[in-house]
Amino acid sequence: MTQTITIDPVTRLEGHGKITIQLDSQGQVEDAHFHVTQVRGFERFSQGRPFYEMPSLMARICGICPVSHLIASAKACEAIMSVRIPHTAAQLRRMLNLAQAVQSHALSFFYLASPDLLLGMESDPKARHIFGVVAAKPELGRAGIALRRFGQHIIELLANKRIHPGWVVPGGVTEPLDPAKRDEILAMLPEAYANIGLALAAYKQIASSFKPEIEVFANFPSNYMSLINEDESIEFTDGALRMIDAKGDILDDGITASKFSEVIGEAVEPYSYTKFAYYKPLGYPQGSYRVGPLARLNIVKSMGTPLAEKELAEFKQLAIGPVQSSFHYHHARLIEILYGIEKIEQILSDPLILDKHVRASAGVNRLEGAGQAEAPRGTLMHHYKVDENGLITWANLVIATGQNNNAMNLGVLQAAKEYVKDGKFTEGTLNRVEAVIRAFDPCLSCSTHAFGQMPLAISLVNADGEVVDQLVR
Amino acid sequence: MTQQKVRCLILACGNTLRSDDGVGPWLAEWAEERFRSETGVFVLIRQQWTPELAEDIARSESVLFIDCSIDCAPGSVNLTPVEPVAATQGLATHHQGAPQLLALARELYGSVPANAQLVTIGAGSTELGESFSDPVLDALPEACRLIEKTVLHLLIP
Repeated sequence: MTQTITIDPVTRLEGHGKITIQLDSQGQVEDAHFHVTQVRGFERFSQGRPFYEMPSLMARICGICPVSHLIASAKACEAIMSVRIPHTAAQLRRMLNLAQAVQSHALSFFYLASPDLLLGMESDPKARHIFGVVAAKPELGRAGIALRRFGQHIIELLANKRIHPGWVVPGGVTEPLDPAKRDEILAMLPEAYANIGLALAAYKQIASSFKPEIEVFANFPSNYMSLINEDESIEFTDGALRMIDAKGDILDDGITASKFSEVIGEAVEPYSYTKFAYYKPLGYPQGSYRVGPLARLNIVKSMGTPLAEKELAEFKQLAIGPVQSSFHYHHARLIEILYGIEKIEQILSDPLILDKHVRASAGVNRLEGAGQAEAPRGTLMHHYKVDENGLITWANLVIATGQNNNAMNLGVLQAAKEYVKDGKFTEGTLNRVEAVIRAFDPCLSCSTHAFGQMPLAISLVNADGEVVDQLVR
Repeated sequence: MTQQKVRCLILACGNTLRSDDGVGPWLAEWAEERFRSETGVFVLIRQQWTPELAEDIARSESVLFIDCSIDCAPGSVNLTPVEPVAATQGLATHHQGAPQLLALARELYGSVPANAQLVTIGAGSTELGESFSDPVLDALPEACRLIEKTVLHLLIP
């Protein structure tokens, strides 16, 4: 008799998903899946809209990383327009994207993951949340909230709105940077540096106590992909993509947005509405790969900023070749926060940052365009086709969560095999399986969050459909 | 937000694309215009109340929360005092209630406003849309009067 354990919904994620763990007749884990149970339809209902509306439309996909959608979408539109945006606009967009990475990473680490990391995987689930962190580690709770606020406030200062701003448009941005706003951002930097320093020190202190989790949290060889600059430093907004294999050797390089669909395919599995991206030359699922902070730090040779550079060197000591355990996404995320703060400071020192020329204009010059950027949780690609009037006839979006999908599923299976024995599980067991998914920080559908308490129920169901055990919180 | 101490923080919540859920932002914009010449009144409008607002609250001498309510009759306007109450459930990432925000301000920054009030307007509809239901439209004058009276009271030293 086979049995199925269902974790529905998985908590402390951006969006809604569930996990099922299939047991064999001996009660051992046979298979496991992470299901994304929402369907959104953005690619379909954007058809017929003018292409220049796409950034604003597409940003509504997500309430956490709308900036990445704005940027990837605007870049796809600029490919259709065949324009190159002004230098200052590119710098301002880069700063906006980094501010978003800081706030999103702070949300992921402090609000969603730190209850497990700071309070313990087995700690009381009723107190395992940001309030629990604040009560137990007030200085870290304060640092996390302040870092999220820092990123959000920069987005608001630049784009006049912290969620779904309309400032990024095809051709550049709508307004230049006001000197008073520049000074306000500069004034916020010292506190941000202090807060991320505190968080990195705290993380390094506790990381060694999670060796068992590091071993089984999606810890396996895989390919990785991210944007990278020509000087092999990290890049969130421009540059081209690089794909490396599990040994760190380059599989493909210089992948521009227009080439993306030639090398990246998308497979479909019956249990999830999220697609499974793969590197076409290797096929599916062999060509599956990981994206996001872990991938970026595995791929780049340099951060390009002094403090983050030191942290990268330390991070790379975790393994010979690419760091494979997805537990280390947390560490990579903190390093990227530090990088974001440093890079924002660098951008603000650009002598042209207050330049008024921030937008180029053009009409439809091509009938197809693609744009790519790094969202906090990984590479994001928008690809559009238009008719002669600039109306969208086809759209495809490849999101980070889809690119991590296969690794998340393998990670859930790996953790379930470790923690679910003889068909038995505890709340702490369940939490560890969920925590594998949290490490990736998937964004399933930020714009459709449920309101209020999210219950969690795990049912052990036998082959006849009878519930033989249940855990509810 | 300003780093200076705020005499009265008006903190509204709601989604302007969800019919009556947008009444909080609408009233906050009205209050911002009404008290434009008044020093020390600061208005923040958010789709959701999140933990990052705790610092703004901690820096304020008083706070007036404005939100719609699905727990009372459509169009009913209510004013209730708010006390800090810490969250006991796990989902505390994307939305907080007014009592939880006060508790967070106290825990993190050691300060809460001396006076905290919540104005709610009963929602008739929270479906997709940018207009209010008739009961909420009818209630707007009463809600404005109540907000004006409350803010003036909160501004008394």
